[in-house]
Amino acid sequence: MTLLADLATPIVMGILLGGLYTVIALGLSLVFGVVKEINIAHGDLVILGSYFGYVAMTVIGIDPILSLIVGMPLLFGIGFAIQKYLLNRAFKISMNATLIVAFGISIILQNTYQLIWTPYARGLTTPYALESFSAGPIHIPLVYLLDFFVAIVVMVFLREFLKRTYLGRAIRAAAQDRKTAHLMGINTDRVYAFTFAIAMALAAIAGVFLGLTFSFTPVSGMSFLIIALGIVVLGGMGSIVGTFVGGVAFGLAQTLGGYFFGVAAQMLVAYIMVLVVLAVIPRGIFGR
Amino acid sequence: MKVTIPRLRGVLTPLIAVTVVLALFPIIGVPRIWLLYLFLFFTYLSMANMWNLLAGYSGLISLCPAAFVGLAGYTLAIGTWVGLPWYLGIIAGGIVAAVFAALISFPVFRMKGIYFAIGTLVLPEVLRFVFTIWAPVGEPVYGGGAGYTVKGVAGVSGAQVYWLALAIGVASIFLMRYILRSKLGSGLAAIRDNDSTAASCGINVFNLKLYSFVIAAFVTGIAGAIFYLYQGYIEPVSAFSVRWLVIIMLATVIGGEGTEEGPIVGTIIVVFLYFLLARYAGISLIIQGVILIGIMLLAPQGIMGSIRKTRAYRSLLQLATRR
Repeated sequence: MTLLADLATPIVMGILLGGLYTVIALGLSLVFGVVKEINIAHGDLVILGSYFGYVAMTVIGIDPILSLIVGMPLLFGIGFAIQKYLLNRAFKISMNATLIVAFGISIILQNTYQLIWTPYARGLTTPYALESFSAGPIHIPLVYLLDFFVAIVVMVFLREFLKRTYLGRAIRAAAQDRKTAHLMGINTDRVYAFTFAIAMALAAIAGVFLGLTFSFTPVSGMSFLIIALGIVVLGGMGSIVGTFVGGVAFGLAQTLGGYFFGVAAQMLVAYIMVLVVLAVIPRGIFGR
Repeated sequence: MKVTIPRLRGVLTPLIAVTVVLALFPIIGVPRIWLLYLFLFFTYLSMANMWNLLAGYSGLISLCPAAFVGLAGYTLAIGTWVGLPWYLGIIAGGIVAAVFAALISFPVFRMKGIYFAIGTLVLPEVLRFVFTIWAPVGEPVYGGGAGYTVKGVAGVSGAQVYWLALAIGVASIFLMRYILRSKLGSGLAAIRDNDSTAASCGINVFNLKLYSFVIAAFVTGIAGAIFYLYQGYIEPVSAFSVRWLVIIMLATVIGGEGTEEGPIVGTIIVVFLYFLLARYAGISLIIQGVILIGIMLLAPQGIMGSIRKTRAYRSLLQLATRR
């Protein structure tokens, strides 16, 4: 019984952390599912969102969450440009070219962050980032609850967007069958660029909440990319619900891993879980 | 993709002659800085050749050369702590990398294409965590995040390290020539072009991929161990750094993926870049990233791939092979 009481906090925190991971992975999942390309730079673009929030907070002095009003359109534009000018062209050369170009983007971003913001760890330490509350034996930081809440909002919004708007339907059509969508008069290149742009707007949200939850360095992108990849593969590509389930699974793996094997090993547990998922169910649980 | 493997017998003699001249460099008193750049050239060349074997000829985009380099480097360093001589340590490093490749091939080869890339991306990160936490010898001062010095290498001269690098570099060129002209090479080309057709022609897809993966791991490991013999110390962050992948990928992509001479040309450029950008450490990798993207989008076949398409190259080739 004491074990169960002890476990209550890591379990609840893991589920809530899963919300953050879901938001991080949603953009990757969207690009993976629609454009069928694996965006190795996704983690670094999420960190770009974190640094944007950091600049907004320290230089201009506005709340990082409020700064998303500017941050989301900014990353939307960057994402549109990346897909239109780089990845769409690479996509026509070969699958490997897309991978290598995305890798190049990742290298450029990481080293640019290092140049501008030094390799030291940063965090978005707002007054509410440090607050926490207790419910019985469970002790939860406020940010984790916020992460989960944002994940729900983003998921519902994305789902409705893909279902109801013209662009959303075009994205789904292009995801299902590129050639047929093209024949039906959909400019697939443009749709891909919009998909990537939307993924980047999601990355902006993910980046800010990541910064509120954890501290980040210029190279943090890689570890979050790996977790996001694990989530996307586990949940099946392009599935929103699957991404959420995957996110919660990885959130739990991390907090429970930290509980049982110590904080130093918690990322290792998540990484090994990625490998196991890839080896055992590469098509995912909700995969088509 | 069409595979053309010209049988250039004429190339063999000049290659040996160049090797002999290069081997004489430390004796005739070539400036030390030249030897350093040549040392880097040969270590990177052997790694790039092996990456080319995987990416250019086997259709395996492996993102884990750092895993092999780091594992072999650690084997060498830890080996010298428990009394293993450094020359055995280098071989042991290659073997450990190869065994690791063989072990992980079972889960990793279940993933195709893009999934294989994801799977291999995770490996160096996992190993970095393992070596940050784990300290097999020399606790509490050494091991873990602090890393290890390679013990007892005071007796190894700069010339010896240079010759080792030269040996693995030239060996990797010959190995590539041999593999591509063997049954393994033709099997790999068939798999790369269409693996289900290859399988239905009686090619054991899993085994051939396994062979090339293990060979690549072994040679990359040996080259990595030689690098750490020169460097004299190893710690997890740089050993399993993504920088290895940048160097190796850049060398292969610039030179031309899937061409035999590609990595040689590419590595020359990469080492030259290293020399040029040595003073601008901060932006060096940014520039390398820009070059990587630029080459991939503008000349995806790389330098050698583009040259091969020209008429001048073809007529030269005809002259050389007398066909």
